[in-house]
Parts: sequence; structure tokens; C-alpha cells
Amino acid sequence: MTAVAEIWTYRNLIYNLAQRELRSRYKKSILGWAWSLLNPASTLVIFSIVFGVIFGAEAPQAGNGSTNSFALYLFCGLVVWNFFSGTVNGSMAALQSAGALLNKVYFPPSCPAIANMFTVMLQALIEGGILVAIMLVVGNVGLTYLLFPLLLVLVGLFGLGIGLVASVYNVYLRDVGYLVGIGMNMLFYATPIVYPVSQVEAKLPAWAFRIYELNPLTQFVAWARDAFYLLVWPSALSFLVVITVSLATFAVGSLLFIRKARNVIEEL
Amino acid sequence: MGDTPAIAVHDVAKHFRLYKERAGSVKELFTKRRGKRYEEFWALKGVSLEVPHGSVYGLVGHNGSGKSTLLKMMAGILKPTRGEIHTDGRISALLELGAGFHPELSGRENIYLNAAILGLSRHEVDDIFDDIVEFSGLDGFVDSPVKHYSSGMFVRLGFSVAVHVNPRILIIDEVIAVGDEEFQRRCFEHLYKLRRQGVTIVMVTHSLDLVRTLCDRAAWLDHGNILAEGKAVDVVHEYLAKVNAAEGLRLEEEERLRSEFEASQTEAARPVGAPEARNIRLGEIEALDADLRSTRLFRSRHPMTVRMHYECRAPVESPRFSFTLESQAGVLVAHPFQFPDFERGSIPVGRGYVDYTIRSLALGPGEYTITAAVHDAQGTMVVDKKERVITFRIEADEPLLGLVDLGGEWGGLQSGPGGDVDR
Repeated sequence: MTAVAEIWTYRNLIYNLAQRELRSRYKKSILGWAWSLLNPASTLVIFSIVFGVIFGAEAPQAGNGSTNSFALYLFCGLVVWNFFSGTVNGSMAALQSAGALLNKVYFPPSCPAIANMFTVMLQALIEGGILVAIMLVVGNVGLTYLLFPLLLVLVGLFGLGIGLVASVYNVYLRDVGYLVGIGMNMLFYATPIVYPVSQVEAKLPAWAFRIYELNPLTQFVAWARDAFYLLVWPSALSFLVVITVSLATFAVGSLLFIRKARNVIEEL
Repeated sequence: MGDTPAIAVHDVAKHFRLYKERAGSVKELFTKRRGKRYEEFWALKGVSLEVPHGSVYGLVGHNGSGKSTLLKMMAGILKPTRGEIHTDGRISALLELGAGFHPELSGRENIYLNAAILGLSRHEVDDIFDDIVEFSGLDGFVDSPVKHYSSGMFVRLGFSVAVHVNPRILIIDEVIAVGDEEFQRRCFEHLYKLRRQGVTIVMVTHSLDLVRTLCDRAAWLDHGNILAEGKAVDVVHEYLAKVNAAEGLRLEEEERLRSEFEASQTEAARPVGAPEARNIRLGEIEALDADLRSTRLFRSRHPMTVRMHYECRAPVESPRFSFTLESQAGVLVAHPFQFPDFERGSIPVGRGYVDYTIRSLALGPGEYTITAAVHDAQGTMVVDKKERVITFRIEADEPLLGLVDLGGEWGGLQSGPGGDVDR
């Protein structure tokens, strides 16, 4: 609890670190903030062409009963994925780059990672906003949009839990960073982002599909699609699982971080 | 607050691992399990001290004594391996000025960022923002990126932020030794001001004068142990005594090397005089303290004797001894010379010595070197000379600047008509 209280007293630092990151990110570029939209847009276009057109992946019917767009279906999943991977990867980079500073001034070593999470969350919010705008245009509107803020908080906690652990172990053992890189790559394809879950369900034996379903990101992506595309509410079981998993991951990650971070500054 | 000290350090030890190779990898976990990848190193070995509220505390010791490690633990940056540190009040640490400045951001943005790193809320920064800018003297540059700042401006802004965050405890690591004189002066003024306001200050410094004048208490650390702790003046005194002893050995060693080197030079390099005059040669040159013990360490306003030994092979008529005293910078400070009208007559064959006694050494602290010489009766010819034969060190008990102690006295203030005062 004292750790939580300490983070709270340093909330202004987290705010400032996030602000520093955002302000300095697009200095000296002409397009500036437009890059934060151009990047995901390019990914979306590439994936839509590769998986939607070339591989012929199909999206289910949207919640309004008329729209059927693989690109939009894909976008829902990408918003979640970008947020998650940005949080995990950014946590490691944030702790590394704060090393010199942590050696000169005391502040909780989790602050840079938390600040990073918020900058990525802002990005996710913008992407979500764009998604909402498009959905409004195509007339796919629902109260399920309200699920999105909760989803962001849960994905943020989940990603931070993993990111904190990865970041602190990466300081002691650089291999962790590389392993995480491979792991993230595998996880991306193990999550139904560029394809619908139905395809996996059809091709895997029942037991393998059970394991596949254990991937928490599958649930997160499903929520995003429920919220923006299918316009349905997740089941009570899904709520229970997602909230439990997110909080547990965050709690365990934070505890491991606090234990390991005690002497991490000497190693930075 | 009550009786709790601002900082209580209780039996603190700190252990470091010095890695032989920096790279850590999974492979090593399996292959190098048996061979140790690192060496154990105790930077601090059980240190206890208390820094009272509102006091200025100095940490002295040579490099690697653990001062900075202790400071970092007080600031909370490092955690003790053993023991406990309790602090009471907000700490602002100046381990590096401008740490955390982002080069692309403006001075204004960096002030907010840096103050946040030191734990301030946005409103608190709003309140002190103008003071920070004014103290740093960066008025016109606050909105340009700090990467365009000169190093002086950078440091000024860093110091300004650190001292304005209104800390209860300020931790300073040798950082004031930066910036121009004008800025240093302002830094010290500000430190004195903070001290008056009751801010607890802990500082690491190599400037013993600073410890003596600014600090109330001090601790002397050596290889991770406290050798002395107490009133700053006493600690500095003890520290100096030890340092001086070591320094004396060093100076003697240097002299030995130099004399060996000079002995290896050919005789031709030595001064040549008339054959009869060459009959006197200088022997050992000694620097003696009040008790006529040979030493390399002297104190201002204390006695000193320079003893010049000689050897005479045949009677020499009225030789004249002299020596020069040079400061470290090579300034000729003094050149005592025997006058020709001394009725010394001729010196008999054999060995002997001549003393030059100084009752009160009127020199400021520093290193000085003696070159001894003996001349013929007319003083025109150098018969023998020993270049830079002794180097000794002078310490002052009280702060004393400059080479010379003029030994004057200040009178009381007198009222009455005086000269015009320029307006």
C-alpha cells in the first residue's frame, strides 16, 4: 500500500514524464502529430490488403446488420494490440532510458513505465476516437462503446504488469528483452487480430482451442470488437475472467517489480 | 519533529558487485555457474550517524571512501544492504545539476519537469516558478530549448530548481564547484540563507575550508568506515593530521626520487668554482618543527627551522649560505641570505650545520620548495647548490588566503571625518 501511496505523491512526475515524452516525440518533424495517426493507418492498410484481400479473411456482419468490413473489424483488434505492445515494450525502454536520472535523483522507478503507459493510452484513445467516428459514419452505433474506457484501463493494467516485470528483469539480463520481442511476435499471431476466431475454432481440436482461448488478449480483442463492431455486451463470465486476469497480472507484476527494483538502480 | 534527527543512519552497510564483464546472458547462467562473474565490494561497512534538524553536515574523505554512496542512500537512490536510514522531511538532492533536463524542451518545461522529479505538485511549481527563473538569471531564455543553453546557464537553472523546491533536507555532492565565480557566490549566499531558514544540509566536499566555515558537524569516512564524527572543526583537524602524515610521506618519497635522479646526473652539471672554494659541500637539508624534529608539515604562525648540513674538506674563508623558498606556482617567496659582514671567519675541516630559525611562519597554506646553496665570501659564485631539495606543506589552523600572513591587526571602528566616499 505504501508503494501505491508513493506513486500517488509522484503523480505530477508521471504527468510530466508523459508530457515530456509527448512533447519531444514529434519535435523537428513537419507532420508532427499526424505521424501518430499515419503509423497505425499504414499498418491497417497493409494488413487489410494482405489478410483481407490476398488471404481473403472475412469479417462477420457488424452489429447494425448491414456493414461488413474486414478493415474495421481488424482495426478494433489493432487498437487493443497497439496499446498492449506499446505498454510492454515501452516499459522496458522507459526504465532503461531513465537509468541515468534514477542514479541522480530519487523517484519511484516504476514512474517512467507508468508514464509510458499513459502516453500509449492516449494514442489508443485517439485511435478509438477515430474508430468511433468511422462507425458513426457507417451507422454502426451502440451503447457498447462505453465498454471501451473500461477496456483501456484493464489492458493498461495487464500490459503494465507484464511490462514492469519484463523491464526490471531486462536490466539484469538483456536476454529478457529479446525473449519478450519473440514472445510479442508470437502473441500477435496467437491472438485473433488479423483473422476471426471462428477460423481457429474450425481448424483446431477442441482441447487445443481451449488453450488458445486462455490467451487473455483474445478476450481483450473480443471486447473491442463487441464494443465497436458487433455492438454486443460480453458475457458475465468474460467480465469476470478479464477483470480478474488483468488485476492479478498487474498485482503480481507490481510485486515482482517492487521486490526486484530495490537494487535495480545500481545495475542501470 | 521533536528529537528525531533529520537523517538517522543506523549501522548501514552497502555491498556492490563489480562485474568482470558487463554482459549478462542466459548462457552464463549455465556455463559460468561455478566461476564468479563479479567481485564483492563493500562500499560502506556499518556506518552510524545522525544529522540533527537544521544543521549543516559535512562528509569528508578521500575518493572511494564511500561518501557519495552514503549520500545516495540518504537521498533514497540506493538502498542499504544492511542497516537502516530514516529521514524526516522532503529531501532534495543535488547530485548532478540539471539531471533530468530534456534538451529538446524549453527551460520552462524543464523547470516543471525537474521540479516534478523532485516531488513537487504543479501548483507548488507555479508558486516558485518566478523565483527559480530570477535566481537562475535566464529571464530571456526561459522559452528556448535547453540544448541551446551554455553549460553555465544549464547548471544555473539546475541549481536554481533544486534549491527552490523548498526542501527540509538538501543533499549536495560537490556540485557547487561549478559555474563562474559570480554564480558560486550566489550559491553560497543561498546556502547560508537556507541554513538560516533551518534547512538541514548534508554535503560532500573536498574543500575543508567549506566544511570548517559552513558545517556544524562532520564525519570523516575512510574505506567505508567512520574514522571521526563530531564538530566540523574537530573532524577537519583530525582529518588533516592524517592526510598530512600521508602527504609528508609522499613529499619525502618525491624528494628521494629527485635526489636519486640528480645524483645520477654528471658532476659537470654541478656548479664549478675555484678549487679551494669547492672544498665545501652541502649535505642534508632539513626542515624542523618547533621541537627540532624533521617533518614536511608545518603550520602557519608556528616555528620552523631550516638546517643546512655541510662538509668541509679544507678550511674555507667565510662561506655564505642561502636558500630560496618557492611556492607551488614557482613564485619566489623568500630568499634568506647570509650577509658578508658576518664575522664567521673560516670554517674548520669537518662536518657541521647552520640553522635558519623562523619564530612564526608567516606563510599561507600550500606547498613550498626549498633550494639550498652555499656561496663564496663575496657572494658572487655558487660553490654548491641543491635544487628543490625539500618540499613541505603548510596548513593553516584558521582559514587563511594568500601566500603571506601579514600579521597585522584590525583596529576598532572609529567615527569622525574621513575621506570622501564615491557615490
